[in-house]
Amino acid sequence: MITKPNILLVDDDELYLYIMEKTIHQLSKDLVVSTFTDGEQAVEYISKCTEEKVDLPEVIFLDINMPFLDGWGFLNEFKKLKDKIQNDVNIYMVSSSMRDSDIKRASDFEDLTGYVIKPVNKVQLAEIFTKIYHENW
Amino acid sequence: MWKRILKMFIGLYLPLVALSLYVFASQKTKQINTLSEFQKRDVEIKKKYFLEQCNALLADTHYWANLEYPVNFDPIGKHTAFMDRYIELIKEITDYDQFRFIDLKGQELYRAVRNNADSITIGNLQNKENQQYVKEGLALNKDQLYLSQISLNREHGIIEKPNKPVIRAVAPIYDTTETRIGLVVINFKMKRVLDQLKSKVADTELYLLDENHRLISSSLHEEDLPYETGRVDNIFPNKLITSIKGITKDSTIIDDDHIWRMQPVILNGTKNSFGSISKPPSEIITPSNWYMIIEIPPRLLKKYLEPLYDSLITFNVIAIVGLLALCYVFQKKKTQKELFYKELESKNIMLTRNSDLLEENNVMVNEMNNSLEIRNKQLSDFNYLISHNLRSPVTSMSVIVDMIQKEKNPEILNQLLPKLDQIAKSITHLTEDINDYVSILDNQEVKIEDIDLKKLILEVKNEFTETLLDDTGFEVLINLDTWDHISYSKFYMQSIVHNFISNSIKYKRDNVASYIEFKSAIENKHKVLYVRDNGIGLNMERHGDNVFKLYKRFHRNISGKGMGLFLVKSQLDALNATITINSKEGVGTTFKLIF
Repeated sequence: MITKPNILLVDDDELYLYIMEKTIHQLSKDLVVSTFTDGEQAVEYISKCTEEKVDLPEVIFLDINMPFLDGWGFLNEFKKLKDKIQNDVNIYMVSSSMRDSDIKRASDFEDLTGYVIKPVNKVQLAEIFTKIYHENW
Repeated sequence: MWKRILKMFIGLYLPLVALSLYVFASQKTKQINTLSEFQKRDVEIKKKYFLEQCNALLADTHYWANLEYPVNFDPIGKHTAFMDRYIELIKEITDYDQFRFIDLKGQELYRAVRNNADSITIGNLQNKENQQYVKEGLALNKDQLYLSQISLNREHGIIEKPNKPVIRAVAPIYDTTETRIGLVVINFKMKRVLDQLKSKVADTELYLLDENHRLISSSLHEEDLPYETGRVDNIFPNKLITSIKGITKDSTIIDDDHIWRMQPVILNGTKNSFGSISKPPSEIITPSNWYMIIEIPPRLLKKYLEPLYDSLITFNVIAIVGLLALCYVFQKKKTQKELFYKELESKNIMLTRNSDLLEENNVMVNEMNNSLEIRNKQLSDFNYLISHNLRSPVTSMSVIVDMIQKEKNPEILNQLLPKLDQIAKSITHLTEDINDYVSILDNQEVKIEDIDLKKLILEVKNEFTETLLDDTGFEVLINLDTWDHISYSKFYMQSIVHNFISNSIKYKRDNVASYIEFKSAIENKHKVLYVRDNGIGLNMERHGDNVFKLYKRFHRNISGKGMGLFLVKSQLDALNATITINSKEGVGTTFKLIF
């Protein structure tokens, strides 16, 4: 049985994961954070959730550049699984890339909620959480 | 230019000159014929006149021959009364120079000699038995008349002065008993007749000849019978002389601009009754026939033909000038046209050459553009590498440092500090990778040389002997039949081959005889190298876009930095080569390198 986290962090930079986790916990002790270091693991996790009919986390922070399966690859796989997903999932692309090509490519994916540039600070996170959970976090 | 003008001119002028000459010749013949026709009429008139004169004097003679003379006729003795009836008549006829009766022995019976227009002298009888005309006269029959040659009168064998051309008519006379008693001999003065013949209507010359070609009278000589005074001029062409004999009809001879018209005057053997019906006609005997010749001399011919010559020359001069002008204008225009076309052609050639040059430049610019684009992309990739991969550890570091500053809990601080070390390490790795990459980008240092690919692959293969030792077997197959030499950077090629072999070993399948094959080929005039292995392969659908990107790894259980194929592509891009991949999971991977 998988326990459902609130937030999924997908990034190959472990230091980033550590910092994000810490930052989220500083904002709220209630939010459950899960992390994966590449897209492939994240896709495996999501397909497992759909098989076991477990709700997906409400928020996914997705890095672009990752080994094995990158952010774009994840989004393609996510699209295939989308029919089986029951709850709303907000996916934020998180990248240190400010390249126009990346931002434009991101806007082509309907499943993306937003594009955030690293480093993500507390204020940005608070805004995102407010938007999703309203005042309930 | 002038040569061509002349050529064209001759081509046009020759037929024209031939035509003009033909017309001229036919006109000339026509003119000559006309002249000859005039001449014929002229000579006929003269001949008729001459014959009339001769017949007139023959008629006189015939008259005297038919008188009935007394028996024993003695005109100056007992028969003076008989003669008195006729003396006035003899005196009246001024053409009579001498009037004589001669007996059968050649002795003159009567002699009347003209002194001037109205006086004659009678008497002074001579013996003429040796004279040719007497002999001829005595030989005549009753009905015959004799007409002598025209000759100068001689007295006692000496030519009488002034020259007096005379002709003698002789006939036998009979007395009342029909007995022949002698001859009547009349000397006719011919000067009037000959002068009449010589009188000119046109500028022609007239000649009267006897059968021996002796000139009796000619318009060229004032004095008649020039041969008798010793003057002999050979004024007739031989052709004329030889053709005279036997001529009975008029004929024309054209010779050296002369036109000769000949008319025979034949009295010998002709018969004439002189108007008498009761008496039989008399036969006329002459020692020679005459020939009347009218000559159209060159000067007259020339005068007639002059306008013809003039028009021929005028026509030709106008034709020459006109044709020359025409040819000149035509050839000039032609030359100009040719020049124009020549210029056009040379301009065309220049344009084509320029166009070729332009195209060459275009190709060069395109190539340059291509390489610049590649270079641009490399720089952009480099930029991305820096901005992305360097930025994240640096920002992470700043966050950690911030956290450390705020954190009071020593336990958490102990957790945070090693993170800094981690960041430092990752930055070090990154800078090393960047170094590698920059060395590829900076292809100024790249030395292009001829590479023996087979040798190079074997050398690289040997670097893996250690890793291969504890393996069940990994084969490097080399199939470089199509080409095995290439101009490339040796350092790059070594790195490329190294990465391929390294990857093939890394991602080989278990439980199969693994290999990597290098195979050369030529496609679209480019050298192509296929690198194929039978490794675990790759999900192309998933990873196709990322195969050659930095820090991309596709196999979780196998170590790798995600740098190998990125470097391979960079090293190929740097020298304008391209690489594509085709792979199938569980079957193998094929790379295609196009140089």
